[in-house]
Amino acid sequence: MIDPEDLVGPEWAEWYRMTPQERWDASARMWADYLALGGSLDPEPDSQSPFFDPDAPGAGAVDGRPGLRVIRRGGV
Amino acid sequence: MGGQACVLYGAAEFSRDTDLAILAAAENLQRLQNALAELQGERIAVPPFELRYLEMGLAVHFRCRLAECAGMRIDIMAKMRGVAPFADLWARRTTIESDQSSLDLLSLPDLVQAKKTQRDKDWPVITRLVEASYFHQRLKPTPSLAEFWLRELRTPQLLIDVASEHAAQAHALSGQRAAVAAALGGYQALATVAREVQAEQDREREADRQYWRPLKKELERLRREARSE
Repeated sequence: MIDPEDLVGPEWAEWYRMTPQERWDASARMWADYLALGGSLDPEPDSQSPFFDPDAPGAGAVDGRPGLRVIRRGGV
Repeated sequence: MGGQACVLYGAAEFSRDTDLAILAAAENLQRLQNALAELQGERIAVPPFELRYLEMGLAVHFRCRLAECAGMRIDIMAKMRGVAPFADLWARRTTIESDQSSLDLLSLPDLVQAKKTQRDKDWPVITRLVEASYFHQRLKPTPSLAEFWLRELRTPQLLIDVASEHAAQAHALSGQRAAVAAALGGYQALATVAREVQAEQDREREADRQYWRPLKKELERLRREARSE
């Protein structure tokens, strides 16, 4: 029998072992951090989605904050 | 039925919206309209929130303005390609209870089916969903679980293991899924299983593109109409 660690690595194996409630709570914590950092709730444009509208205006952040933005980037 | 359901079932998606599969019926739409009004939900794109568009298979998109959920997106659908009618989905739904509330989710097989889209990002999620099911329940497999894994596993090594552990079921399904037929060849056939799994994905994605072609035309028509108003 294959161990989850051997197939997907320790992080995924740990995620798989959690109960649904534990995953829900972990996801909620990540969401709280993301929002505290100014993350936007607007879905990223997905050009593969049938609902993608290239002419749609991007919605601003609801609380008026600019959301996350890159302030330094590597060479690639 | 979207990212939140995936998290609960064992995959992980950083989905920024909440996707709801609903019964497309006039009285149900009215109830939903009332609930959206409580959340100060505003429709943010075409199509309009009407029965005929939901029955067509289009999604209706809302953004909430109520302070407690400000900015949250809610997408509503009633029909998805290759997915059973709502009455069946409801009958076999999963209900998860927490301290504060209960959540009704698409059953795992229905969620997997709903994820078979043309988008790159949905396919790794399917892989994770079925892997999570297998690792969680492989020590207490039922015939229906084994059939689900044989039909949906996308991880070649695991499909080979399941085909070996449930050989009779694998033989019975081998005519319906080429990847299962290949998996019966064991680890020597690993590359063939991987090729067959990829070929399935390519076929499903193409089928999804074909399914959406007329619907995208309808969306474009509605957008033109909305912009000219």
